[in-house]
Amino acid sequence: MSRPSLALLLAGASAVLLIGLADTQGPGAAMIARLQAAARASLDHDGAQSISVRFTDDHGWPTRHPTLAGGERLDDATRAQAAADVAALPGVGGVRWAPRASGHQSAASTSAAALGCQHSVEGILRTRSIRFTEGSAAIDPASGELLNEVATALRPCVGSIIAITGHTNAQGDEAINLALSAERAVAVRDALASRGIDMAGLRAKGVGSERGVSGLDPADPANRRIEFSVLAPASLEPTPVDTPGAG
Amino acid sequence: MPFWLEIEVLLLLTYATGVALGWLLWGRAPRKPHIGE
Repeated sequence: MSRPSLALLLAGASAVLLIGLADTQGPGAAMIARLQAAARASLDHDGAQSISVRFTDDHGWPTRHPTLAGGERLDDATRAQAAADVAALPGVGGVRWAPRASGHQSAASTSAAALGCQHSVEGILRTRSIRFTEGSAAIDPASGELLNEVATALRPCVGSIIAITGHTNAQGDEAINLALSAERAVAVRDALASRGIDMAGLRAKGVGSERGVSGLDPADPANRRIEFSVLAPASLEPTPVDTPGAG
Repeated sequence: MPFWLEIEVLLLLTYATGVALGWLLWGRAPRKPHIGE
């Protein structure tokens, strides 16, 4: 590209940058003010007067992605509805909640995180399953990679109680099935522990064939499976050391 | 994302698309040979 046309290109880009900046100062600021007023009206309409809405980001810049704060006394359904209504306003981007003043993670967000982990694990295991050697609790070496993925998905939930449940199909003696499903759940627990998941939060249990997959014949081999459920922990009181900015 | 960054990214992408389109449509056309070339 010749020198004059490159200079022209850069001049054009600079002009665009300047126009953009000027636009955010004048009409942009007016638009954000309009969004702020609409969000306030929406919150008041939802009976969430105690929730404040701020259309600036952490650095004080105006943004279309508001931060909601307060409203701790409101129930979760009202808070969720209020946030959804603000997010649905035309022009508003994603809504987020400011961390609670005390620095605690709210019960709602903890259980949301637990649900998130569970969904990712279920997503991983939807099409593939952890395989065992026939009639034994030894994990098939080919499932190692899958266990790595499960461990990675569970890592954000360390601190939660993670229940590992082994299931078998209804073929064979139920007592043996029960023992085998428990041994397999323990094998998965140990495999996850060896991948860095805290053993203290893992609970392994076998239920034999009593909880088959709904819609499947109890004898169907597809009933043999390992299920994970992530349970939100009893709220732990953070020490000041755990809370950034505290003290 | 702050609002100014959203606007800048959008405008610059539009500008770059316009420049690319202009170059594709007209910039690549061969120059007419000068008489005598």
